[in-house]
Amino acid sequence: MTDSVLSFQAVSKNFSGLRVVDEVSFDVARGSRTALIGPNGAGKTTVFNLISGVYPIDDGKILLDGVDITRLPDRERINMGISRSFQNIRLMPHLSAIENVMLGQHARARKLGSLLFPLGWLPGNRWASEAADALAQAGLATYPGEVVANLPYGVQKRIEVVRAMMSDPKVLMLDEPAAGLNEKETGELQLLLEGASRRGVTLLVVEHDMQFVRSLCDHVVVLNFGKKIFEGPSSEVHRDPGVLEAYLGSEAVGDAA
Amino acid sequence: MLILQQLISGLMIGGIYVMVAVAFTLTIGMLNFLNFTIPALFMLSGMVAWGLTTVGVHWALALLGGVATATFASLIVERFTYRYMRVRYGDATEHALPLVSSLGFLIIFEHLVLVILGSDPQRFPTPFTSADFHLGKLIIGIPQLVSLVLALAIVWGLSIMLKRTRVGRALRSIAENPDAATLMGVSVNYIVPIVFVITGLMAGIAGMLFTLNYADINAYMGDNVAAKAIAGMVIGGLGNIWGAIAGGLIVGLTEVMAIHFFGADIVKIPIWGLLLLILLVRPSGLFGHTAIGKGKF
Amino acid sequence: MSGYWTGIVAILCFNIVVAYSVFLPAAAGQLNLGAAGFVAIGAYTSGYLSTDVGLAMWLTIPIAALATGAVAFLISFPMLRTRGVYMVLATLAFAEIVQGIYINLEIFGAAAGYPVAAFAELDIIAPITILVILFVVFLMATRFGLSMRAVHDDERVASLFGVNTRMTKVAAFTLGGVIAGIGGAIWAHQFNYVEIQHFNILLSTFVLLYVLIGGTQTPYGPLVGAVFFTLLPEFLRVSNEWRFVIFGVIIVLMMVVRPEGLVTRTLVERFYGLFWRRGRTAVADR
Repeated sequence: MTDSVLSFQAVSKNFSGLRVVDEVSFDVARGSRTALIGPNGAGKTTVFNLISGVYPIDDGKILLDGVDITRLPDRERINMGISRSFQNIRLMPHLSAIENVMLGQHARARKLGSLLFPLGWLPGNRWASEAADALAQAGLATYPGEVVANLPYGVQKRIEVVRAMMSDPKVLMLDEPAAGLNEKETGELQLLLEGASRRGVTLLVVEHDMQFVRSLCDHVVVLNFGKKIFEGPSSEVHRDPGVLEAYLGSEAVGDAA
Repeated sequence: MLILQQLISGLMIGGIYVMVAVAFTLTIGMLNFLNFTIPALFMLSGMVAWGLTTVGVHWALALLGGVATATFASLIVERFTYRYMRVRYGDATEHALPLVSSLGFLIIFEHLVLVILGSDPQRFPTPFTSADFHLGKLIIGIPQLVSLVLALAIVWGLSIMLKRTRVGRALRSIAENPDAATLMGVSVNYIVPIVFVITGLMAGIAGMLFTLNYADINAYMGDNVAAKAIAGMVIGGLGNIWGAIAGGLIVGLTEVMAIHFFGADIVKIPIWGLLLLILLVRPSGLFGHTAIGKGKF
Repeated sequence: MSGYWTGIVAILCFNIVVAYSVFLPAAAGQLNLGAAGFVAIGAYTSGYLSTDVGLAMWLTIPIAALATGAVAFLISFPMLRTRGVYMVLATLAFAEIVQGIYINLEIFGAAAGYPVAAFAELDIIAPITILVILFVVFLMATRFGLSMRAVHDDERVASLFGVNTRMTKVAAFTLGGVIAGIGGAIWAHQFNYVEIQHFNILLSTFVLLYVLIGGTQTPYGPLVGAVFFTLLPEFLRVSNEWRFVIFGVIIVLMMVVRPEGLVTRTLVERFYGLFWRRGRTAVADR
């Protein structure tokens, strides 16, 4: 087995009697770019929520770098190196773009001295300039002071990705990062993620845009109705009969094939 | 015997608290909105009625005028707090907006009454101050008894209405899930004012009964009663009508007993202490969980 | 400055300080309708230390602040289990209980009130007020302030990014208590007399309104709200009752026209933008 950074071992989750995730196991290899795909309602976002600690799991184990994080509260998991973005944008609407990005640094700045450091009073400080640089790298240099509620959708979407990258994660989980982006924005996003990948960050991506998945990811895990139905290189996924069947009748067939 | 006498007066004032508590619990349960204008509606009913008698209106008509004013005032509140917010922001329960507006209306109504009717405590010319009957050594005021029965009957009627009628079902569907209710064809613009009409009627009738029975009225008479009613609502569980009835009566009894045994100054501690304890330990109230109040507002 | 205006400014200072005590929890998403309870504790504590113990004011005020903060810290744990309407009611209940206790305490004169020995001139009150303002403005500029605002906007996501949401809320509530204690001490030493009747729900309500009308998004909101509503009556040449009616009308209209408060983030950004646009983009371009 290759060196896996994140290991999902026979994990199950029920919501009021409904089995949303059913004994799913998969490994995310260190430095890989893994995609988690599947039809709507397959349980992809739930898997993200279980990894990041939004809900406790009912059964199974989650290991990060060999450490069992199953019982760890959510705010400790980001310290361990897990960071994520959200399917529906969940930026802090009343904070500016750069403040949202600085929130992403929080896991690295939890000492009292860092907490009482006046970020807003010392413009060029280490944290602020790091955040500004990160925004600039993502092509968002013009927006740092804007309150995010006033920014366009595509911009907010990318700020979320930048925020998630700020904690220096081992595993960066992105929930439909390309949804709603135009072609140019998707291209910029891909460059951003490839940059992170080159720095050694493992990517775990939920995405519907198969074009994007194929050009970014090397490994694919397919879920359907809470069960894993395929795991393997992204070059083979469109040849798998089970996957084709799961997608049959939905528009994704054309994409997958 | 004296204790029994206290119990009876506790139940009598408790009947008033019940009606106001129901008004509170209804708006919280239906709209997730803590409506602070309710004390003003209660007061408007009494003070407007008194004002009408001073210009020669018959006391019965004056009381009806008071209730009508309270109901109308409640609709004004709906127009400027709830409806506006919902139309403009999609969801009136976001932020503390309706709460703050209702505090604004409380201040407006109370001080308008001060401006127009003066700040002196007044006495309503109630026709039956001494209509009591004696049961052994117990003295029972007939109008108070009638009020208690009337209060309970009205609340009972209200709960029947919520359960059985089409309007009642529409109201409850909005309380449970506004979006689904809208999809199913319930018109929010038509249903929500009904909540406010009921609120106005409940608070107004409670104010009327209070005025008839206790006669001593002033511009701030609603505040004290509302505080007790809120305590009653919490005891019964937010959004729970039957809980509000029990809670209102419990508060009435607690108040009278505490005054009897420990004096008037101490009464705040047991009532608010009980309320705080319930909020912290059992926020759904004493009688299970019909409680709403989800998330921020 | 005439005696009349000195009195107004003293009241203004008190209102500003108490507004900030409500603002801190509000910035972290907690509505506190119990300011009067904390102010009462601060007022009685400083009054007692001044009259019965004979301490000087430079000791009574900080001790009152710490004592009130300690009470706030202790009750914050049960209090913060509640949210929304429940928290409004719980804080209100707390203030009423405090009132109910003090009105029965004979050592503090019960309902008759309690005299306070030391008198604080404006030259003591005003600097304290300015320090409180600066402290809150500073706090909101720190990473702790950032986490408070993050908790206000989305508690779940704040937690996912490593913010200890519970401790953030406890700290905001406790610091609010400390500042309320300072407000109470200001009151005690300014009026030399503490009557529990003053620390009623009306005070809690008005202070909460200053904060919500001023705006909770920036640390300048409570200042603007308190100044606006304290000074407005002075410029309205009508009777006291009409002033309150106008106050109520302004509140209702404000909620209709500008529900996020007078001072919003966007407004402050635009304001900065007028002067420092070049400096700001310079940061971004680096």
